[in-house]
Amino acid sequence: MRRTLMLTMLVVTITLTLTGCWNRRELNDLAIALAIGIDKAGDQYMVSVQVVDPGEVASNNRTSTRTPVTLYQAKGQTIFEAIRKMTTVSPRTIYSAHLRMLIIGEDLAKEGIGDALEYMSRYYEHRTDFYIAIARETSAASTLKILTHLESIPANQLFSSLQTSQKEWAPTASITLDQLIMDLVDKGKEAVVTGLRLRGDQEIGQSRSNVEQISSPAQLQYSGLAVFREDKLVGWLNDIESRGYSYIHDDIYNTVGVINCPEGGKMTLEVIRSKTTTKAKMINGKPEIRLGIRTELSIGEVLCNIDLTQKSSIYELEHQGEARVRGFVERTIKEAQENYKVDIFGFGDVVHRAYPAYWKQVEDEWDSIFETIPVEVDVVFNIRQTGTVNNSFMQEFKQKKE
Amino acid sequence: MNPIDIATIRKKLGNSADIVFKEFNIQYDNRVQTVNLIYAEGFVDTNAVQDFVLETLMVDLPKLDTDKHPFLDFMTVGDVQELQSTDMMYHDLFSGHVILIREGTEILSIAMSGIKDRAVSEAMTETVSRGPKEAFTENIQTNTALIRRKIKNPNLWLENLRIGKMTQTNVSIMYINGIVTDKIVDEVRSRLARIDIDGILESGYIEELIQDAPYSPFPTVYNSERPDVIAAELLEGKIAILVDGTPHVLVVPALFISFMHSAEDYYQRADISSLIRILRFVGIFIALLGPSLYIAITTFHQEMLPTQLLIGLAAQREGIPFPAFIEALIMEITFEILREAGVRMPRTMGQAMSIVGTLVIGQSAVAAGIVSAAMVIVVSITAISSFVVPAMNMSISIRMIRFLLMGLAASFGLYGIILGIIVLVLHLCSLRTFGVPYMSPFGPYIAQDTKDTLIRLPHWAMRKRLRLINQNNLTRSKDKAPGPERR
Repeated sequence: MRRTLMLTMLVVTITLTLTGCWNRRELNDLAIALAIGIDKAGDQYMVSVQVVDPGEVASNNRTSTRTPVTLYQAKGQTIFEAIRKMTTVSPRTIYSAHLRMLIIGEDLAKEGIGDALEYMSRYYEHRTDFYIAIARETSAASTLKILTHLESIPANQLFSSLQTSQKEWAPTASITLDQLIMDLVDKGKEAVVTGLRLRGDQEIGQSRSNVEQISSPAQLQYSGLAVFREDKLVGWLNDIESRGYSYIHDDIYNTVGVINCPEGGKMTLEVIRSKTTTKAKMINGKPEIRLGIRTELSIGEVLCNIDLTQKSSIYELEHQGEARVRGFVERTIKEAQENYKVDIFGFGDVVHRAYPAYWKQVEDEWDSIFETIPVEVDVVFNIRQTGTVNNSFMQEFKQKKE
Repeated sequence: MNPIDIATIRKKLGNSADIVFKEFNIQYDNRVQTVNLIYAEGFVDTNAVQDFVLETLMVDLPKLDTDKHPFLDFMTVGDVQELQSTDMMYHDLFSGHVILIREGTEILSIAMSGIKDRAVSEAMTETVSRGPKEAFTENIQTNTALIRRKIKNPNLWLENLRIGKMTQTNVSIMYINGIVTDKIVDEVRSRLARIDIDGILESGYIEELIQDAPYSPFPTVYNSERPDVIAAELLEGKIAILVDGTPHVLVVPALFISFMHSAEDYYQRADISSLIRILRFVGIFIALLGPSLYIAITTFHQEMLPTQLLIGLAAQREGIPFPAFIEALIMEITFEILREAGVRMPRTMGQAMSIVGTLVIGQSAVAAGIVSAAMVIVVSITAISSFVVPAMNMSISIRMIRFLLMGLAASFGLYGIILGIIVLVLHLCSLRTFGVPYMSPFGPYIAQDTKDTLIRLPHWAMRKRLRLINQNNLTRSKDKAPGPERR
């Protein structure tokens, strides 16, 4: 009996030391941070944290005189120092496990984001499922000060907006921390991060009056992709090039594209499914990349005279579309090869996988090989549906007028 | 046999006013004999005494030749016994028998029971929507008859015992010979024989005196007030213990899983009952872990919640002065008080209490900022879930353990809960009930016997009885899946 008792006590004592990070906090002791913005301030970091005021967000007791979120800012030599310094202004400790967005100022991005990401990846509270964006032509802090409609928490707005635009529009990239870090350390691929622009009047955007109007004076918009060499921002891809990037990187879920009709006029095609395969081939000891883009579409909008009941016109449209996509995909590759000279598409990884021995020789000078690597783009369009009608009623309408 | 002195009997009974002594003389063949009639008021049917005893003695007897025969031969009543001594007399006297003493030598005990019993009525605690409605009564004879009516088989055996030095309560062991394992019956007999208590007023006394694990929160003796449940258990090779004076009949050995089964599971179609059983286990899971998971997640593992939910919960907790654990404890204890009051209070007070319970405690506590609305939801769903356990005693065990787990959750989070559950499972697996592992057929795992556990297979698929309980007669049936005959 005594032995059992001693044994039980021993087991209890030992198991209690095995608990790992043990921290008991009540929900109302937490300042739930949903977005962190990091800017350069001289040789220090300026960290801005968007913290939720839960009482203002919950639907039942909204007073509507206070904002749903607040922004705490602090400067520090390191990011962690700055965040802990925030307790001098914040009544609660910053709790960042539910972080949705990490915004990095363009100035800091140009100098290198590596140091900033080190803390983000190390601290035990952070998960890796938040998105990262670069504040374009503005500071990260100012993008976190804009109040938004629909999603009362701006960080949630940014998160959902990036997610939906990636799914429905394509020229944005929802990059999470682990992906970004992987791209940074990967020799065969350089990083891209989506850009976030602030449109409109910043002054009004900060106050509640921004959401008291039907059309908000200040809005946040995703725009372009930031191209990185190592961890430094070197330039931006515009919207067309960003879409090209999405095609090459196989990030297309659903998007729309406008093409010209054979006999003039325009037409919108909606991508239902798209799959890109990237393959490397050695031709005469030199690597070559083959991109195969297989896309299934449906016709979304017809603003021209065309007989969609004919197979031949569908084929014609498919060729038009293929040519267009090939056009901007090639343009994007050219831009990366000639302008930025960085392999943002991960062609290096493809070569690595296909020819590991060759890769070993060239991995340190990959960027220079990338500059001249020939890329063969093969696009196949399949128009599967014409929407709910065949020919446009506009054709009959025009015939009647004649 | 010594002549019996009526005065001694009178004295032994303390001249109690409710014991009727009637002395009269009967005449026959020109002889006179003194006869004493003793019975307890309220126990016997006085009309029957008039018709069958007095009339026999006074009218019919003079015509007969009684010298050669004792009275026993003349009584026109079925259950008549001649007693050898007065010691035996008292138990009969208080079981509704009339005692007849002829000339101080011959003692007859004549069953003339006229005790007013409660009629067989609907089951109060174990209700079903399909299935027999009748429940046991307080009379042990009625109860055994109710069971026998379900199992019309000579192998349904009954053993009578008298337990309780003062109360001399009738206790019966019932089992089906040929299905039951003799070793378990022997064990039951010996445990009952060991009882030395002065009074047995309810089967709960017996349960506490014969159970395997007196310090465990889990019951190792099953009880039911439904004859159909007892019949089903007997058919599974278990042993019923009936106690006079209570409608609750005990069943041993009681497996953990049988506390989770309701009679209706066997009356509804197998698929329906299987789904309902799964639902019941979900309910039991909530009843056991509801508040502790809430406490653990909101105070230790906030990262596990979806962001929107976290913000919603955080908003509700704004301004709540107590930690989540204290908050949960307040609500849980309040609910337990409400529940206990609901059981004990007079029925007419029900409405007043439900108003106080719902409005004052539910709504006002939230409005006053003492507890959060989410906590009220958690406690309510937990409370409701605890009633899906069909067996009341198991439901109480789960409620007790819930408080322990809440404490563990408040101090160590999910880690504590897992530790608690591990200890709980170890404890459950260590229990035995009359030699049978409590957790069987899961620990030890017997695949054959799991057909009637978490789900219930159709009756035609359950061809074998439980292996650890029916060690010698396993085959229940040779049924196959029904359908039109194949030609």
